[in-house]
Amino acid sequence: MKKMQSLLAMYTDQSDLPPELCAKPLSLVGISGLDTLNNAIHKAIWETFNSNRRIERSPVLFRLISNSHEFPIVKPKRNSYEWYIPKGILKKNWMNKYLSEIPAVIAVFYDLDWNDSQWNEKMIECASRVQSIRAALEGRNTKIVVVLIQDTLPLPTGEDVLATERAVALCASCELNAKSLFVLPHGDHLQGYVIRLENAFYDLAKNFYYLEAKNIKSHREHLNKTTHQYLFVRHQFKMGFLNELQQDNHTAHKHYTHAYNNLLEIRIVDTNAMEIRIVAGFINYKLCRLMFGLSLPRDAISQFRSHTDRFKMRIGFQELAFEHNAWLSKQFSVFGDIFDEAVKLGLPAVQTQHPGLYYQQAAQYAIARKKSCQELCQNITSYPTPDPLENLKNIEFYGQRPWRPGKLTAEPPDPHLESRGIQALQFLETQINHSNNIISLFGFSISQYKTYRCLRMRRYLVVQMAEEYYNSGDYGKSLTLFTHMLWDYRTENWWSLLTDILNKALQCAYRTASIQDYVSLSLELLGPSTKITMDDRKEIYENLNLLINKRVPQPDLNTPSNVIAVAQSLWTKLFTSQLSGVSLDMSNILCCIDTKARFTESQYQGDHPVTVEIFVRSACLFPLHLANICCTINSVESNMVYTLESVNKPDLLFNNNDVKRFVIEFMPDPNDIEKEIQIGAVNLWLCNDNQSYIDLKFTGLGNEANKVCADFLHFRRSSRSVYKFDNLKPLPKALIVPRHSKLGLKIDHHQPALLGELYEIQISIANEEICTVENLQLDINLTSESANQTEFYMNVNEKPQHLPLLLKLNNLDPSESIKQKIYIRCYNVGPRNVSAKITYLLKAKKPIPSVKEELIDILVVKPFEVATKFFSSKFGDITKFHVDEPFIIMPVISCLSPWPIEVKNATLECSTAISLVDKNTESQVNGVTLRNGDSGTDIYYAAVFKPTESLIDVGNYSITWNRQNGEAAITQIKIAGLSVDWIPLNLELPLPAYGLVRTPLLVNYKFYNRSRHLLQLEMNMEASEAFMYAGYKQLQLSILPESTKTLQYNLYPLVAGNVMLPKLSLTVNGEGLGDAMLTQEQLNSLIERALPTHVFIMPQGKRVPVLTEKAIEVQ
Amino acid sequence: MAVCAAIIGKDNSPKYFTCINPDEELGFQYKVLSSLDVVEEKLNNGTKSGSDSRELYLGLLYSLERHKIYGYVTNTKIKFIIVIDSTNTSLRDNEVRSMFRKLHSIYADNVCNPFYIPDEPINSKSFDKSVKNIMSGA
Repeated sequence: MKKMQSLLAMYTDQSDLPPELCAKPLSLVGISGLDTLNNAIHKAIWETFNSNRRIERSPVLFRLISNSHEFPIVKPKRNSYEWYIPKGILKKNWMNKYLSEIPAVIAVFYDLDWNDSQWNEKMIECASRVQSIRAALEGRNTKIVVVLIQDTLPLPTGEDVLATERAVALCASCELNAKSLFVLPHGDHLQGYVIRLENAFYDLAKNFYYLEAKNIKSHREHLNKTTHQYLFVRHQFKMGFLNELQQDNHTAHKHYTHAYNNLLEIRIVDTNAMEIRIVAGFINYKLCRLMFGLSLPRDAISQFRSHTDRFKMRIGFQELAFEHNAWLSKQFSVFGDIFDEAVKLGLPAVQTQHPGLYYQQAAQYAIARKKSCQELCQNITSYPTPDPLENLKNIEFYGQRPWRPGKLTAEPPDPHLESRGIQALQFLETQINHSNNIISLFGFSISQYKTYRCLRMRRYLVVQMAEEYYNSGDYGKSLTLFTHMLWDYRTENWWSLLTDILNKALQCAYRTASIQDYVSLSLELLGPSTKITMDDRKEIYENLNLLINKRVPQPDLNTPSNVIAVAQSLWTKLFTSQLSGVSLDMSNILCCIDTKARFTESQYQGDHPVTVEIFVRSACLFPLHLANICCTINSVESNMVYTLESVNKPDLLFNNNDVKRFVIEFMPDPNDIEKEIQIGAVNLWLCNDNQSYIDLKFTGLGNEANKVCADFLHFRRSSRSVYKFDNLKPLPKALIVPRHSKLGLKIDHHQPALLGELYEIQISIANEEICTVENLQLDINLTSESANQTEFYMNVNEKPQHLPLLLKLNNLDPSESIKQKIYIRCYNVGPRNVSAKITYLLKAKKPIPSVKEELIDILVVKPFEVATKFFSSKFGDITKFHVDEPFIIMPVISCLSPWPIEVKNATLECSTAISLVDKNTESQVNGVTLRNGDSGTDIYYAAVFKPTESLIDVGNYSITWNRQNGEAAITQIKIAGLSVDWIPLNLELPLPAYGLVRTPLLVNYKFYNRSRHLLQLEMNMEASEAFMYAGYKQLQLSILPESTKTLQYNLYPLVAGNVMLPKLSLTVNGEGLGDAMLTQEQLNSLIERALPTHVFIMPQGKRVPVLTEKAIEVQ
Repeated sequence: MAVCAAIIGKDNSPKYFTCINPDEELGFQYKVLSSLDVVEEKLNNGTKSGSDSRELYLGLLYSLERHKIYGYVTNTKIKFIIVIDSTNTSLRDNEVRSMFRKLHSIYADNVCNPFYIPDEPINSKSFDKSVKNIMSGA
């Protein structure tokens, strides 16, 4: 058994590339004479050489060589190749020999200072060491150098005469030229010295490899193409390899190319097929790797392509076709490795050309290998004896059959031996775990594809990987991978691929007795989109039914019997152990049953039932029977599950394309009021008994994947109900609002409110509920702005209240009612929105909080408007007040209110600048009721004392008023007056009420000078047609200070009626002093306001009326 | 002659799929779907570089061991994919390009058909026949 394993290990190694081929070739330098175990200095030197080999150091590999080291023996030189027939292409030991056994340079280290006391003895010992190395290397061209380890620092060249002398002597005794002697002071700067030495060694090594290559090249002329084809390849390969050691990659590339081309010229027969193939693989490996290194990635790829294309069809032994596939697989995976290595070193790869492609192909060939192995080796059950592979370890050449090593192609093989050898290989092949190999290749490829953003390709590879897991019997892993890949194929609607994966996954689920997956996969397979035959559908449906009834589903027809047995035992175990059943999340699955659920409304009142409509649609071709349906409602605090109650069995039976509607009703939780509830899930129960159930959990939103484009949906030919189902918009959220209150709320008020009044609002609450109402609270608030211009009063005599107004009211029994008055006073016009909100608890079994809210819109208007007019004492219009000339103030109140207003009292509070002539003037509007459109006029007689430029303040006019039956309100209005002027002159013309025609009328014009100066005026009395008069027609008037001058006129009226008096005009006398005080303008306006213009003249009666006497009296 | 042709909608779902050997259809579907990776990449990069938007032909997407996959995408992001056997040397870039043009033209004709619902899979027999003709190079 052990032997078999080692054989197997060797057999698998055989398809791998040998490590010596893959190693990076480094010049080999032997270090001799260092005692690293006992000598600390030596150890330090060795470590400086050997460790810390960073990238900038020369590509050199150091090896310690002991004194007794034996080097490979040199083969005798061949003078002629004439009779030499090579037995193979590449010898297995050759590369290793140059990589690790034959140093290019040997450095003999020796402790010797120039001034050493025992110089001569030591020199001789050193020479003998060199000699012994040289002897051991007999025949090799390895360079020998001597390195003297010295304690003292060397002097500059030429100054140390002793050193020069002794160096020459040493070189002579060691038979070395002067350039092969080095000195290494081990004091400071060891590292620097070592690096310099290293570079010197490296130069020597390069020279050695160059010469070796040249030597091989010289064999060329002895070769001929007929018998030495192998040698052409071998020599070129060797030269290439040596050039690589020499780090001359360009030349190495050239030689490898030659080697490859020479190899292609060899005729391939069955016996050498494997050897040529393997060597070609080696050379190709070297070539590709070098080309990547030389930044020729395109060349590398095309070399690899032509290489694989060329060898793809050269299978060799049909019986060992798996070997060929293994080789191909290896070629691809190795190329992938090289490519990947190059990418890691900075080569930019692209999406269409990256290592993943090669790993993928490698996996394909690995699958092919497995297939051919299954085909070819199925009858091989035993390993043949005697062992034909005995020789495997000792075989001299790469790629040769162990049972006929070194046999020349021309010789006919021994058929018996051949068949045994083949049998041995076939047997070993059967022992190999192909799946592991395939899976790991897929793994490499997947990670590469992921890097290069090929997600779909990655998925495809994962599916293939899952298939391989399936083939290898790891159904669990396979199932996991399959189910993870389903989603992506589902979203992109590749139904046939989806179906393929589903089918495979279903088999996995069966074999692992994974009931969850089995059910969900079956349901999805039964769906409308999958592409399976009717028979398969039927079978799946029946299996599902079996499962619902807790029986083991039937296996697929191709399932091997041992697998069935395992699966069945798993299923029975599952059924016996499992009590709880299965819950499946169907949210991402295109199931054959679909549900949509919605609330019927977006808001529900707290005391009303919430209705959820559930639509269930079956797309399964066969009838499906549900056990029950339930719905989970999520709210902030709780998740409630509501089950369909009292449903008929036939209603839960679904035929193809049936759409059925179910309704769930429930009362909302009072805690959810003002909160949102949503449909969390809709669960369909496939089977539902006490012990087990299959619970399918849907989101209730429907499968949106079907929806390609909503607009095109109308073109589809589908039944009415299905169409409706497709177009149904789910409403998964609803708000619970407080219940609609049955409280009677009546708000009594008389619009509009008047500015400044206490506006009364009467709120009457009547309990029309069936239960008592508790915790009744009235909440009054202002919703509009201008809150600061509004005051709320609970009572007429109280202070204004702060908002919001909270009123706790008494409990109300059914049909009881309560009234509450509130008052509002507004200080500016405009609308007010007052909200009256009543919150209360309904005293039922469970107290139900309820709310009733009403908005009161109040428009505030002005009750009246006050306009004030000013008149002269003669009711003439004035624009100015004059000192000592009393005037009339006339406030006019025009009622704007739609409601009659009663003016209780009106007063004018005069400011200090003004005084009433009659202090006890009673208001004229007291007790007047004004209707809309009415106006009331008040009148006051007042005088001013001081002239002012600006308008004077007359005072506040305040009106106390109320609407009928309302509360009294006071409105104060500020009255602005006119500016006050002062003039020195006063004019008066007292007139009787009337005159009589042809009866003389005596009038006196009185001029009063208020000033302390003389007033000089020119008076002119115009003629009038209505009068004849006697008196001055024109006069120079001089009025003394503070005195009155009277001009008397006797008027003789000629006509009756309202007759214009003769017109008096005054002009300021230019010479007078008064012109500064009195302007013509003032004078004119004085005449206008002080003198009456007309007098009423009555016709003469039969007798003289008595009144005339009176009229005269007045004068 | 092409071995497989596919029309893929803008949401990357297959609208039409055919191949010469029906037994290999599944494998081809996987390959064609995988090649959409490259199509997407090309479309994303194409807009950046501001390449000629009238050029609908995307060229070779994947060169696999056995097949070569070519792509073409319309301005409305309908993708056409043609798969050709790697060993077939008679079909050069130009021939493939003209195949795509023909395919595009018959696809446009098909979309114009009032009985065809846009975005649904195409299963018209005459369309199938025309595609087969194009694939065989007639």
